[in-house]
Amino acid sequence: MNRSEEMMTAPENAELLGVEVPVAKIERKLRELWEVDDARANASLINLALYSEENGDLARNSEIVREITREHACRALLIGRDVSVEKVSVRSWITAHCHLVHGKKSVCCEQIAFHLTGTSRGRFRNTIFAHLQSDLPLVFWWQGNLSGMFNESLYRRIDRFVIDSSDWGDVVAQYGRVNAAIEEVGLVVQDLAWTRTYHFRLAVASLYDDLVAARSLVGTRSVKVVVSEQYRTSGLLLLAWFAEMAGWERAQDLIEDDGHGGSYRFETREGGLVDASVVFEEGGAPIGMIEVESVGVCLRVSREVGGKHLHHQFISEGHVVDLHGPVDSDFRAELLADQLSRGGKNSLFKRTLPTFLSLLHWEGS
Amino acid sequence: MSNPFREDLVSRSRPEACTVVIFGATGDLTHRKLIPALYNLAIDGELPTGVKIIGFARRDKSDEVFRDGLKELNREVSRNGHDEEIWGDFENMVEYHQSEFQDADGYRRLAERLDAIDAERGGKGNRLFYIASAPEYFDDVLEHLKSAGLNESRDGCWSRVIVEKPFGVDLASARHLNEVVNQTFEEKDTYRIDHYLGKETAQNIMVLRFANAIFEPLWNSRYIKQVQITCAEHLGMEGGRGGYYDKSGALRDMVQNHLLQLLSLVAMEPPTDLSADGVRDEKVKVIRSLRQWDSPELVEENVVRAQYSAGHVHGKSVVGYREEDRVDPESMTETYVALRCMVDTWRWSGVPFYIRMGKRLPKKATEISVHFRPAPNVLFNATPGETDEGNVLVIRIQPDEGISLRMVSKIPGTTLRLEPVKMDFHYSTSFGKGSPEAYERLLLDAMAGDATLFARRDEVEEAWRFIDHIQRGWHDSGEGDELSMAEFVAGSWGPEEADALLEKDGNSWRRL
Ligand SMILES: NC(=O)c1ccc[n+]([C@@H]2O[C@H](COP(=O)([O-])OP(=O)(O)OC[C@H]3O[C@@H](n4cnc5c(N)ncnc54)[C@H](OP(=O)(O)O)[C@@H]3O)[C@@H](O)[C@H]2O)c1
Repeated sequence: MNRSEEMMTAPENAELLGVEVPVAKIERKLRELWEVDDARANASLINLALYSEENGDLARNSEIVREITREHACRALLIGRDVSVEKVSVRSWITAHCHLVHGKKSVCCEQIAFHLTGTSRGRFRNTIFAHLQSDLPLVFWWQGNLSGMFNESLYRRIDRFVIDSSDWGDVVAQYGRVNAAIEEVGLVVQDLAWTRTYHFRLAVASLYDDLVAARSLVGTRSVKVVVSEQYRTSGLLLLAWFAEMAGWERAQDLIEDDGHGGSYRFETREGGLVDASVVFEEGGAPIGMIEVESVGVCLRVSREVGGKHLHHQFISEGHVVDLHGPVDSDFRAELLADQLSRGGKNSLFKRTLPTFLSLLHWEGS
Repeated sequence: MSNPFREDLVSRSRPEACTVVIFGATGDLTHRKLIPALYNLAIDGELPTGVKIIGFARRDKSDEVFRDGLKELNREVSRNGHDEEIWGDFENMVEYHQSEFQDADGYRRLAERLDAIDAERGGKGNRLFYIASAPEYFDDVLEHLKSAGLNESRDGCWSRVIVEKPFGVDLASARHLNEVVNQTFEEKDTYRIDHYLGKETAQNIMVLRFANAIFEPLWNSRYIKQVQITCAEHLGMEGGRGGYYDKSGALRDMVQNHLLQLLSLVAMEPPTDLSADGVRDEKVKVIRSLRQWDSPELVEENVVRAQYSAGHVHGKSVVGYREEDRVDPESMTETYVALRCMVDTWRWSGVPFYIRMGKRLPKKATEISVHFRPAPNVLFNATPGETDEGNVLVIRIQPDEGISLRMVSKIPGTTLRLEPVKMDFHYSTSFGKGSPEAYERLLLDAMAGDATLFARRDEVEEAWRFIDHIQRGWHDSGEGDELSMAEFVAGSWGPEEADALLEKDGNSWRRL
């Protein structure tokens, strides 16, 4: 490779990725890294791969990994693919992220960054998978739209597949592919758009612990979810979850998508009709509110832009609940860390998925 | 009415809204443990909406003064820090109720107050009574709760009681307490706190044993030579602790409850299910199978007690136990105890379980070590004295929670030399996130009606039966004289007699 070609295939801010090493020497160089200082402990519970086809993401992802390794010891593999360059090439860098645990022990996690150009799927896969730590699960975070690299021979090897559907342009098509993989190989999917709804769901659930609120559920007339437009899938997931848990079925008649959100209609177990909507609010919090109304009562969980708490409210005549609770992070790294802490196979997400997909496809029906 | 939105959100039983009444709410336990635990549940969004907390104590205080006191300590000790906004909501849930434990009118007023809260909440009246007072008041509190009708479950709502340690001082007093409790609350509504069971690592013992196929086939006398449970503390009688401790001692304070609980988790058979009674049925069988040291001779042979004399801990000189503040200068209370226990079951026949607990030992550590029999003495082990030590599996309960396994390995080189090596798993290294405090988990479990991590009546009584024999052996061994009390220098690992206890079996204490 001549100098100019090398410049062309270098990722932005490569200096933040550690030491560049030849791919064939990655493991040996990592070992040398440890030999320098034996006071540090090397830890890992998972293989965490972050894949992106956007230039500049390698350095940004290295920062994300630094954050995540505070709570989750892992071997991190950063993969950046530059699709604009045709020539097939692979470059790699290694580094370690170290943190003090309880103020004393320095615990470090290894990171290998790959910068790939050109298209040679098999070669990339093999390069990457050769550097997994054996026996530990592989959590694979695919950032951005799915490309041709997302195929069975890749996802078959993944234990948890992390996406953020709020990044996607054509959500219907992209989710279609994800769903096919779920059906085909039982892929465990963790959509950060779903993680973002966690504390809203927790807050709604805890408000319905209230007896008066619980009694009001049967009479629900409307559910409104407010999101900022980028987070539409979070809004739909939250609504789908609500409908699924309440035992509602999708009713066929009202369909509307006016570009400011969508309107839907559900039928309750008792045969009542509920109007539901996901409304966009410009400049609002990713998820701004869920509001459930029945006769004379209103249950609301809301958040200000940048607010550090969720506001939980239940208002009926002579009975008011007004509390504050925790909120989901606006940062992906923290969302992923939270998701990893919760563990499990995401059964609630799987349960919600059909309703969510049906809301996504509503327009087409 | 069940809440459909709770389903699946957390994979355990669901805590229900209730009013928590804490008896002894101006005390240390409430300020340091209970309120911070409830607050941290609120911060994590785990506390059900509608929980109210009433602090019951003698002193005259307004709600505001009571809350301010709680807030001050919460700032200091809360695991997740102190957030003014969440605290603001949280403290609105807290009220103070002034009354003597013995004052019937106070309970009548309490009942009215609870009814008013229920009405406000929409009619549901779950109640959780937490008795955080000295044990001499248990009777008073329970009897008055009964007279005021507060013990009754009504309209599908529950009424539960949580009782703190010490649960009795011997079998007779524990039985008495159990009777008083059970005259007021059914056993299914009685939750006896043993905070060791709320610790993450203690819960992990069952997971380690029963979710990993490699241990259980070896978990018996054929492969295991001995088991050791060590609970070492470097502290002595700081902060006036001597007054309480001198009446209690290591055996009753730690062994009867926490350490026998750990022993039963290690030695139990796999339960048929993970229900509270499924697990506790198996645990109690272990305690019931303990060989009883029911004569002074057996006690002398199998139990060593000791006190520390002046010495050095962590580089500081410290006084001997009898010189400590609020301790009787002629005290015969043990600050150290080592026991050899035999679990007479098919599985454990012939395997000694050694327990040791002591104050003023070199460091703070609670650990369980399972010592496997060495591999047969052929091949590598043929050279005597080289590798006759078997594998050791260590479960560290605190402070540095984790699991390690000692194995034998070849030393690199052209000759065949073998040395033990250690495979070590530290929770804190792998999971950066701190575990919740034991009280958080336990309070939530009580609100959810899950008693798995609480001690059942028969467990407590069986444990006392075992302990009582030893106490009797010590204190009335015939003509009113006491069995000997060993001594060790503070900051050392206990008396020689404790070493001799294991040497008789050809074993020695593990070095920590
Ligand atoms: N502290 C701990 O960390 C801890 C740990 C495990 C178990 N425990 C157990 O928990 C229990 C409480 O411990 P603690 O340290 O919190 O005790 P503490 O600090 O001595 O508090 C005792 C409480 O009981 C109240 N009280 C005493 N006599 C009363 C009466 N006649 N009427 C009404 N209230 C009365 C006191 O109220 P006033 O202040 O108003 O007099 C105070 O609130 C004990 O059984 C202890 O063994 C404590």
